Amino acid sequence: MSRNSDQNYGALWLLTPTVLLYLATFFVPLIMLGVLSFARFEASVTTLGFYFDNYVKIFSDGITLKIFFQTVRLSLMITFWCLILGYPVALLMRSCSPKMKMVLLFCVVSPLLTSIIVRNVAWLLILGRTGIINDTLIQWDLISKPLPLMYNEFGVILAVVHVYLSFMVLPLFGALNSINSSIEEAASSLGAPYWRVFLSVTLPLSLPGVMAGCTLVFILSMGVYLTPVIMGGNFVLTLPMLITESVREQYDWPFASAMALMLLLAIGFMVILSSGVQRLVGRR
Amino acid sequence: MSSQESYGSRLPYKFLVGLVTIVILFLEAPLIILVIQSFTAESYLAFPPPSYGIRWYKEVLTSEDWLNSISLSLIIAAVVTPLSLVLGTMAAFALDRGPKKLKHGLQTIMIAPMVLPHIVLGLGLFKMALQLDIDDSMLAYIPAHLTITIPFVIISVGASLQTFEVSLEEAARSLGASRFWAVWYITLPIIRPALIAGSIFSFIISFDEFIITFFLTTFQRTLPIEMFSTLMYQVKPSIAAVSTLTLAVTAFLTAMLILRGQVTSGDKVIK
Repeated sequence: MSRNSDQNYGALWLLTPTVLLYLATFFVPLIMLGVLSFARFEASVTTLGFYFDNYVKIFSDGITLKIFFQTVRLSLMITFWCLILGYPVALLMRSCSPKMKMVLLFCVVSPLLTSIIVRNVAWLLILGRTGIINDTLIQWDLISKPLPLMYNEFGVILAVVHVYLSFMVLPLFGALNSINSSIEEAASSLGAPYWRVFLSVTLPLSLPGVMAGCTLVFILSMGVYLTPVIMGGNFVLTLPMLITESVREQYDWPFASAMALMLLLAIGFMVILSSGVQRLVGRR
Repeated sequence: MSSQESYGSRLPYKFLVGLVTIVILFLEAPLIILVIQSFTAESYLAFPPPSYGIRWYKEVLTSEDWLNSISLSLIIAAVVTPLSLVLGTMAAFALDRGPKKLKHGLQTIMIAPMVLPHIVLGLGLFKMALQLDIDDSMLAYIPAHLTITIPFVIISVGASLQTFEVSLEEAARSLGASRFWAVWYITLPIIRPALIAGSIFSFIISFDEFIITFFLTTFQRTLPIEMFSTLMYQVKPSIAAVSTLTLAVTAFLTAMLILRGQVTSGDKVIK
């Protein structure tokens, strides 16, 4: 009785409850958003149909497209900083003692499991106008008025990196861990200095992890709502903020749906791009 | 060639350790500062606090608003966790034991809600809840939370099933156990660490969930939503105290997750 030979279609009934749940909470709602995005919203009345009003509005109202690109730019910067900060951690996790690995793992996983809002509160207390940094600097007479550490892009990027760094470290660690270290030993024993081994062996071999981590962090960053609201005030606008506002304040479902679909398209584009790059690298 | 230096020993350890220390400080210092500030006895936030006390914890734990939101969040998480564990484990079994050629496609579908930005999922769920007239109620929160927690159970249980030796289950069945009891007495105890991990993930994710619930509620407030609205209004020490309480719950569960994962998978899983 080998497992591979039995095509056990009977086991699939176990999927039924979850599939039914997803139908109601995932597939149908998404289809509804898709349909709504082509509806018309005039004088607070939604008319279903096949109109391109909302998509035209996205590209022509002068603000939505700008905010969309700002969201993309912010997400790319967040991804970049996560990679820069996360790689050394993954590298050390791979080569340190098991005990140390547990400590690092805890430090890396804990943000993943503590609420975003708690982390944002923590940064608020540090970076705010009367936060620790400004308070201390003013007390020491180093500055006369508070530095603008939040309610700007800096604060938002810092706080989001703080929350999503773990999503970068875990795939990086996975990729680094699966590299057979004898390849590096070989390069090293042939006289290559550390940085040379790193650049021409370790780094290229860890590329799948880099791509996975970057894609994950980018996707998450594109959809983040809470941190820009708390850390950015109304000074850093992102697409998720626009979506939330148009539904909760203006009840403009069609426009919100169109923006949501645009967000999904951007994410889909990124996923395809990264798998394309991976295939390209894999072929080499 | 004389003493051969291994690659490992040539790692620029000091440099790496220095860098990582900074990153870890960046990750953990804000939380430590938050915890310290929550024990201030003053009516304002300052660091270090001029005097210490548990004044703000008392305030939080006697305030009706905070208690209501804490219990709402706890109730939701307590309902979501077991449901999520059962449904997710069933799905993971289906994926593991089902036809191999369908596995990849089905798995992608089953964990899809995890990849979808919660803002989009929340928008869709809000529309659906309005359509069914169940917004601002448990009937909306629980299926919504299940949708984002089940993928985590599928992943952790699925990974464990992959390394599980099916011959153990087959041995029990050849001795006359039915499929269900073989799974119940053999498979489930062996993959227990994954079941625990899945439950903890589900609990924490549901307890901390913000944006989807934010769409679904009008009057009811879960803890994250209460925190958010308080925060938008005023930053008081009470927010630091509540944050610390939340942190304590999740940190405890995380520690359990990591320690149990190590301890139990070490001596219980039969290789």
